[in-house]
Amino acid sequence: MSTSTPDLTHGAGHGDHDDHVTVPLLERFPGRGSAAAWPLGLVGVLLLVGGTFLSWSYTGDVLGDLSINFYPGGVQICMIVLGLVALAFLLAHRGPLSRLGDWLDSAAAVRNLGLGAVAYMAVAIGVIAYESGGLINVNPGGWVSLVGALLLAASGLMLVSRQHKDPLFAKTTSWLEICAIIVLMALVLFGAAYALGIGDGASFVLFLMFVAAAATALAKSGVFTWIGLIAQKNRPVLMLGAFAVAFLFPFTQGGSDENMSIATQVLIFAATALGLNIVVGLAGLLDLGYIAFLGAGAYVGAVLSNSAFATIGWKPPFLVVVLVGAIFSSILGLIIGSPTLRVSGDYLAIVTLAFGEIFRFTMGNLDGNNGPDLTNGPNGVPAIPDLNFFGFDFGQPHNVAGITLGRFANYYFLLLVIAAIIIFVFVRLNNSRIGRGWVAIREDEKAAEAMGVNVFGLKLFAFAGGAFLAGMAGTVKAHHDVSVTPDQYIFLESAFLLAAIVLGGMGTVAGVLVGATILKLLPEKLRFIADYRLLIFGLVLVLMMRFRPEGIIANQRRKLEFHEDDEDLAERIEEVHLEEAEAKA
Amino acid sequence: MTVTDTPPPPATPSTVGAPILEARGVTMRFGGLTAVKDVDMTVNEGEIVGLIGPNGAGKTTFFNCLTGLYKPTEGVVTLSGQVIPPKPRAVVVAGMARTFQNIRLFANMTALENVMVGRYCRTSSMALTSILRGPKFRREEAATRARAQELLEFVGLGDSAENLARNMPYGDQRRLEIARALATDPKLILLDEPTAGMNPQETKQASDLIFRIRDSGLAVVVIEHDMRFIFNLCDRVLCLVRGEVLVQGSPGEVQSDPRVIEAYIGGGDDDEDDDPTPSLDAGTTQEEQQ
Amino acid sequence: MTEFLQQIVNGLTLGSLYALIAVGYTVVYGIVQLINFAHGEVFMIGAFGALATWTVLFKGQHGLWVLPIMVLGAVIVSVLTAVVMERIAYRPLRGAPRLAPLITAIGISIFLQEAVRLFYPGAKSKLTFPEIEVVSGTALQVGGLTIQRAAVFTVGALAVSAVLLWFFVNRTRLGQGMQAVSQDPDTAQLMGINVNRIIVIAFALGAALAAVGGVAQGLLNSNIDFRMGFLAGLKAFTAAVLGGIGNIQGAIVGGLTLGIAESMATQFIPGQFGGSAWKDVWAFVLLILVLVFRPQGLLGARVVDRA
Ligand SMILES: Nc1ncnc2c1ncn2[C@@H]1O[C@H](COP(=O)(O)OP(=O)(O)O)[C@@H](O)[C@H]1O
Ligand SMILES: [Mg+2]
Repeated sequence: MSTSTPDLTHGAGHGDHDDHVTVPLLERFPGRGSAAAWPLGLVGVLLLVGGTFLSWSYTGDVLGDLSINFYPGGVQICMIVLGLVALAFLLAHRGPLSRLGDWLDSAAAVRNLGLGAVAYMAVAIGVIAYESGGLINVNPGGWVSLVGALLLAASGLMLVSRQHKDPLFAKTTSWLEICAIIVLMALVLFGAAYALGIGDGASFVLFLMFVAAAATALAKSGVFTWIGLIAQKNRPVLMLGAFAVAFLFPFTQGGSDENMSIATQVLIFAATALGLNIVVGLAGLLDLGYIAFLGAGAYVGAVLSNSAFATIGWKPPFLVVVLVGAIFSSILGLIIGSPTLRVSGDYLAIVTLAFGEIFRFTMGNLDGNNGPDLTNGPNGVPAIPDLNFFGFDFGQPHNVAGITLGRFANYYFLLLVIAAIIIFVFVRLNNSRIGRGWVAIREDEKAAEAMGVNVFGLKLFAFAGGAFLAGMAGTVKAHHDVSVTPDQYIFLESAFLLAAIVLGGMGTVAGVLVGATILKLLPEKLRFIADYRLLIFGLVLVLMMRFRPEGIIANQRRKLEFHEDDEDLAERIEEVHLEEAEAKA
Repeated sequence: MTVTDTPPPPATPSTVGAPILEARGVTMRFGGLTAVKDVDMTVNEGEIVGLIGPNGAGKTTFFNCLTGLYKPTEGVVTLSGQVIPPKPRAVVVAGMARTFQNIRLFANMTALENVMVGRYCRTSSMALTSILRGPKFRREEAATRARAQELLEFVGLGDSAENLARNMPYGDQRRLEIARALATDPKLILLDEPTAGMNPQETKQASDLIFRIRDSGLAVVVIEHDMRFIFNLCDRVLCLVRGEVLVQGSPGEVQSDPRVIEAYIGGGDDDEDDDPTPSLDAGTTQEEQQ
Repeated sequence: MTEFLQQIVNGLTLGSLYALIAVGYTVVYGIVQLINFAHGEVFMIGAFGALATWTVLFKGQHGLWVLPIMVLGAVIVSVLTAVVMERIAYRPLRGAPRLAPLITAIGISIFLQEAVRLFYPGAKSKLTFPEIEVVSGTALQVGGLTIQRAAVFTVGALAVSAVLLWFFVNRTRLGQGMQAVSQDPDTAQLMGINVNRIIVIAFALGAALAAVGGVAQGLLNSNIDFRMGFLAGLKAFTAAVLGGIGNIQGAIVGGLTLGIAESMATQFIPGQFGGSAWKDVWAFVLLILVLVFRPQGLLGARVVDRA
């Protein structure tokens, strides 16, 4: 970071807002002082990284292959990366990167990296011992790295945070910012591809621990404050970068349909959740029947398809089907939204839930015996053929630049376009007169009405607009899934969508993408939790509401709404906002 | 509609013009309680009218009836000769805006955004325009922003545009609420206790602001407890007691009317709620009021 | 005519069940203005508590004397669940935006269902509820009407519960404290009433009645499953709203009304859209109609600004 004007100096540990002044554990024991801390950290890094070049495991079939000296496996490479990041922060604390240390809380970063490394090594050694029959099978490399991790953690606990400036006021040149964004994006792409490629659950858990440790460390050091600011400043670059990453992703998969299948599922889920985020996150209306709109689109896609079980003879081109599905869905949205004229809050949530259930029951009933035959009842519409755009068959693999892209990759690209449309609509609506109206309604509905905001119209529009987007996604989902049945659209699915938003962050795009990815990817990768999936996510909802209601990636305004009495938070957010406003001008 | 029309157009002397607001026989009952009883009020162009009365007299309730937050049990309200339906939005569109006794800003929006929300009913870009961002959208958005900034400067908050409403000092919040109401381009603005909780200096600024609003061509109705404030400011004063108009007339007439003094000091014999001291009792009234 | 009376009987049975659950929604709402959407799961857990009590203590026994102990087991399990839920999930959220407790409730609801499914032996599919002498077995025939024995138990349980509840609310200090808090929590606090304790008691009271409902449901259907709380909870919530939420007599009136309306709809809506296939659809339609057009209920609710 090129530093120009040191505007404001903050006390120790003022990186992230939540992170008030942290008193290092051992500071309370004078004499054991921080003089030894820094060299101790260096030794820790040396041992941690050194250990990874030695064998960790006697047998070669645990956590990939960790049994060969001087040939680190994936699980070991994570520790190398973590060690190097810790080294960078140590050198920022004292040494050649000292200028960086003027802006970041390097001690906090080392502390979190060290603790993360200890946890990581403990789990890794535990897994090795468990899977290959005893601690005896843990080779010296593992122990060396564990000792290194412990030393690093000890060093982090002893280091005293240096007086540093708030990274919010770091003036950085734009090429540096753009480079940072590109690096970030590349890391995301690489990380996603790597994570999907991990075969066994234990390695996956370890990878998550690594990501969590690195992310907490960066957050505590204040790097994310800076990243948040430059993300605001360089929005187009960020968006473009994100789409480039998403677009390039299938090319990293070497034609593997298995991972692409997961990726398309994530994308369908994320796209739907983004649509729901317009209703919940922007307009502040809790819709518990949202899955019905996806279902409405899917049923339209199914009955208008060339499936032998389709019940309607009209076979328009797919783009027309998309439009019909979206419009049908948004008409349902208008119907479901109409009670907002009279009900709000909890009652509205229950009304939407009831509508969602009515939709599902109705789809399950219209089989010719109980009402007209439209949906084949509980059996649904099976055997929906793959899409075919002007001769491009979505069912067939295609070769692009020597890389094979299979069936799921084809759908992936189509869904990416749909997700892009939804994100586009989301962002543009958010930053418009309509978006302001929604915020006003969320803040104080009566005052909004008294200031001339069309409250009912805006609520209705949120329902219809959200439904339109979900309907669109639904038509593609029908073809992707091959069959459409009522039991794909149960209440739990709506709750699941809501969970993605609550976990990721109400009212943010990035948050929902993160939330959706976590909720869809984890059960796929961690087969052993598959049966506990719902249990865990019920718990996640409760815990998030208790401890971080604004979600992982918070929308600042939402955060304020959930913390009405937190004056410091309000001051801090205002500070950030003023800085952003200045950067924009 | 756009920046070009007005913030404060040139000051016109306070000549009293044609009637702009006429309320006839407004009555509001809550179950057995008649909070407002058969009240008539006329406000003329360019006039500042004061509404006084002890606590619980029904002043706020009367405002709520005028602005459609309550649907009056009886009575009609006409604005510029048109009968206005008792719907808040229709009232704003017709040209009457208000502030609230208990400040009701959008706390987590910035000052500028608050005022921009006030522009909602005078702008028109809908979904498709907002998504596609044609030239019309950009023009309108820029105009909204410019107008909002102008109004903030008008009330003296030009430098606080990007501050969060909830972080602003109390007096600034009151002024911000006035700016937000002005953003709806009203012909008439209703201020519910605009100086409650202010110190003497802020109160002085507030009365200057109200004069400037009047000079920009708006009619103003003010509810106040502070007698000195009201009598310096207003062209005409209405005194409401137990939901009924007790007296109305020039400040001098009302001030010297023994019934007014009795209503305040003697206390409404059967109305224990009455506040004996008629001044400077910042928002001590009931909470759930508009 | 018999047909009609038969549906009245069926409706009263169903309605008593709804009423037993609905009281829980209403009592809690009356005190904290919170709609505890996880209450349906408390009912479900009650049924499992009764089954567990029977399985552990009396497996193979079918005498009437085990019934009170089963009910006691059910009540204990339900009350514990509700109290823990209030303490760790809802209490920290008092004063948070309304969205927060609602989402929490959904989370709790799913969590409890899954916990039962995963950890109660055999609960992944339906479990048979024990037959108990006198209250299970061949239905009674009264003047051409078929009356299930369990139905008599259900209606009787509601009657007894209602009397006890009335006594508790009007004749005990705690009950009067409850009324005080529901009318004006701040003043009640000033008068030295421990509001937190009253809230816990409201949750416990609702849970106890729901547990009785759980036993009744087990006897009526002869089987129980972990999903039974969802729909029953929603319908009971409708009943509470129909009777005027916050109003205890209202919950009972609402429950009975809803039960009868549902029976009638199932029986008398003609043609393709009638019958049991559409039963739940009509129940949900009724729910929507009540929430939209009669949110204050038949007997009037304690209305708060729900904007
Ligand atoms: N929504 C309402 N429901 C019942 N009573 C109300 C309501 N709003 C106001 N009141 C009653 O009307 C009377 C007048 O109140 P208000 O208009 O606020 O007086 P003021 O503004 O003159 O102090 C009070 O007795 C108050 O309790
Ligand atoms: Mg008032």
